[in-house]
Order: sequence, then structure tokens, then C-alpha cells
Amino acid sequence: MRSLKPFDYFEPATIKEATKLLSKYGGRAQILAGGVDLIPRMRKGKIKTDFLVNIQKIPELSYLSAGGRKGLKFGAMTSLHALELSQDIHKLYPVLHEAIHQIASVQAKCIGTAVGNLCVATPASDVATALMALGAELMIAGPRSPRIEPIEKFYVGYLKTSLRAGEMVTGVSLPSPVAGSGTGFFNLLRTKGDSAKVSVAVAITLKNGICQEAKISLGAVAPTIFRATKAETVLKGQKLSADLISKAADAAVKETQPITDVRSTAEYREVTTGILVARALGKAVERAKA
Amino acid sequence: MRKEIAVFNINDKSYEVILTPNVTLAELLREKLDLTGTKCACGAGECGSCTVLVNGQPTFSCSTLAIACKDKKILTIEGLAKNGELHPLQKAFVETGAIQCGFCTSGMIMMAKAFLDENPNPSRFEVKEGLSGNLCRCTGYVKIIDAVMVAAEMIREGGR
Repeated sequence: MRSLKPFDYFEPATIKEATKLLSKYGGRAQILAGGVDLIPRMRKGKIKTDFLVNIQKIPELSYLSAGGRKGLKFGAMTSLHALELSQDIHKLYPVLHEAIHQIASVQAKCIGTAVGNLCVATPASDVATALMALGAELMIAGPRSPRIEPIEKFYVGYLKTSLRAGEMVTGVSLPSPVAGSGTGFFNLLRTKGDSAKVSVAVAITLKNGICQEAKISLGAVAPTIFRATKAETVLKGQKLSADLISKAADAAVKETQPITDVRSTAEYREVTTGILVARALGKAVERAKA
Repeated sequence: MRKEIAVFNINDKSYEVILTPNVTLAELLREKLDLTGTKCACGAGECGSCTVLVNGQPTFSCSTLAIACKDKKILTIEGLAKNGELHPLQKAFVETGAIQCGFCTSGMIMMAKAFLDENPNPSRFEVKEGLSGNLCRCTGYVKIIDAVMVAAEMIREGGR
């Protein structure tokens, strides 16, 4: 097996130390969190790095707060497995639990982090698709004062994030779910353990059967994960009938820009996006009424 | 790239090693310490054959830097038998015939150990989910799942 190319290695003890190193070395540095994605890509030569900044030893990055009225927060070093085991997430944000639970490799969940998964910026991330429907915000530290970025704005292109030189994501915060809200998540895979060919997460809020709020997040059908805002507009202020759900699903399909690749054809991605959006909305209505 | 002297705690034994930061945990175990029970197959965190436990967590040793594990407790297949007696999982794999070519076995057993530590009384379905990060090219899954169920019972009855 090919060995990793040489690099200089750092173990900062604080976020400040880490961002200082990232500022100093710029594009020649990589952040090591779980390493599930990074180390294999370094071995294959797909990522070249001269400086590796290991953030595992920063205690302030490993936490998972209780999902109270203030919402839920977790850190950049919190493992996917820790989130999967959380009863708060299971109860309050079931789509996040589902998106993590269906990831096949237990080892990848035990050492891999949710924030690492987000920062790879693959459009096929089920975790990011679920977090976008839940209205997640990313906490970002850098050379200047910390900033908060809604996850929609974090993804600026294929494998590209809005992170500026010297910046790192330190954690994620989720708003607490409001009364009458419900969520749904569905994806399609070639086999269990593969990346998604289509990933869909939705969140709606109902009041007397009328849709107050709707978020439809689509993964693997465009260069980035994105919100199907036109489909959301179809739903808002309306009574959620089967007919309206099917109209919203059609609108969502029109917002996709799917490609044909090894996992699926563009046509199949389009057709199944509509089906999964309708199915996820159905599930969300069922949960909102429960 | 700087060389460093690092101390590792592997199977409750202390090892002092001179290494560079680009050495993976799998390379440390196999090439520097001759602990060749851990196998490397895909090198990309897909197959699970290199699984070892780091602070109790099942970890792809091919995708983990050795140097990042220097303050942690590492458990490999060599550390399972105690006083010459096999661990219940090892016994169950032998007795059930859950080994064909054997290349996935140490990864399967280490993953199963972490899984049973968290869920000592699993259903067959839960065992399947728990081992879903480990591939067996001989496709001997049925007997592997049988063996984990047998081992779970042995452990519950006090076999360690």
C-alpha cells in the first residue's frame, strides 16, 4: 500500500492556535478531524498537503449540548456516532438521526465527524442535506472575529465552501423545532454503504392544516446541496393536499441540475427526486400531525 | 518532516518508537512493531479489515495517523487472548467455522468486540448493522453473524 507523502504536523490545543496555523500556511495546510475522508485522499494523491493541523486535541470542539429551548449545538470534533446515539436528536431531529443511521460503516461514524463530512462539501452528503432542512447554522472561527453562516450559504460550488483563508468550522447549531413541525428524509443508493444518487430532506410547519413554513433540501442532484425554494413557495400558505404535494414535487424537479455519472443517469435522478420529495413531504405531514 | 520519539500503549504494553507523522496506525502496527494480525486490504476505509480499537472506538487503522494515537489505548487482535485463553469471540469464530480465507477475520472480530461492548444482547439484525463496515470477500457472512451471536451469549454467561 502506498505511504502518505511527508508533511509537517501540528497539534494545536486551542481554536486560536489552530486558526493561526491555518492563516500562516493557507492553502498548503489541511485540517485533520476524523481523517476518514482526508487520509485516503492524501494516499491516492488527490489532496496534496505540506502542513497537517490535527484538531483532535482541542477540548472545546468535542461537545453535544442538550436539545432544549435554545436548540442543539455540537462541535467540530463530535463524532457521527455520538450524534447517532443522542436521544435528543432521535426525538427532536429524527431526519438527522435517519441520515446518520443509514450510513453503513460503523467505523467511519465512530472516528468520522459531522463537521468533517460537511466540510468535504460533496453534494451527496446525506448529513448535510438533513442539516439544511433543519435550518442549521455553522459556527466559523478565523483570523477575524467568529462568524455564523447558514448552511445554504456555506456551499458555493462543487466541493467548494465559503471558508476563507485561515478559517475553520468550529461547530453546528440547530434551532429548536417549533410546535406543529414535521420532517422527512429519503435517499436512494446503489447499495448500502454507497454515496447517495439522490438525497432529500424536508421540514414543514403546519397550523390548522395550512403550511406556515417549508424547507426542501436536495442532495446529489446539482453541484451543491441546495434548497428548492420554488417548490417551497408552492407549499407556503396553502392547505397541504396530496395534489399540492405533487405540484411541489414537480417544482422541485425543475430546480435540479442533475448529471449522469457512475451512480445514476440524470434522467433517473430527476424522476426519483420528484418521488422522494413527495414521499418526504408525506412523512413530514404525518409527523407534524402526530 | 520531523522525526519524533513517541510512546504507544498497545494491548496494555508500552512501545517506544521513532517515527515521522505520515506513518499510519496500520503501518506502525505491522511494519514497525510486527503486530501483523491487523490486516490491510483497501487502504481507503472501505473494507474494515484494518479495524482496531482506539480508546474503545472501532477505528480504520489505515486511515488514522499513528502519531495522533500516542496518548490513547490501542487494542489489536493480538491483545484479545488472556493468559493463553482465547477471547469468546475468537473461540466462537473457530467453533462456528466463521473463517474462510481469514483476511477479514481480525477486523471482523475487533469490530464485533466494540459492537458487543456497546450492545451485549443484540438481535441478528443489529449484528448485521454493527458489522456493516466490514467486508468478507469469501462472502462468509452467515457464519460470521452466527459466531457473533454465539460469542454474545458466551460473554453474557460470564465467559469474559
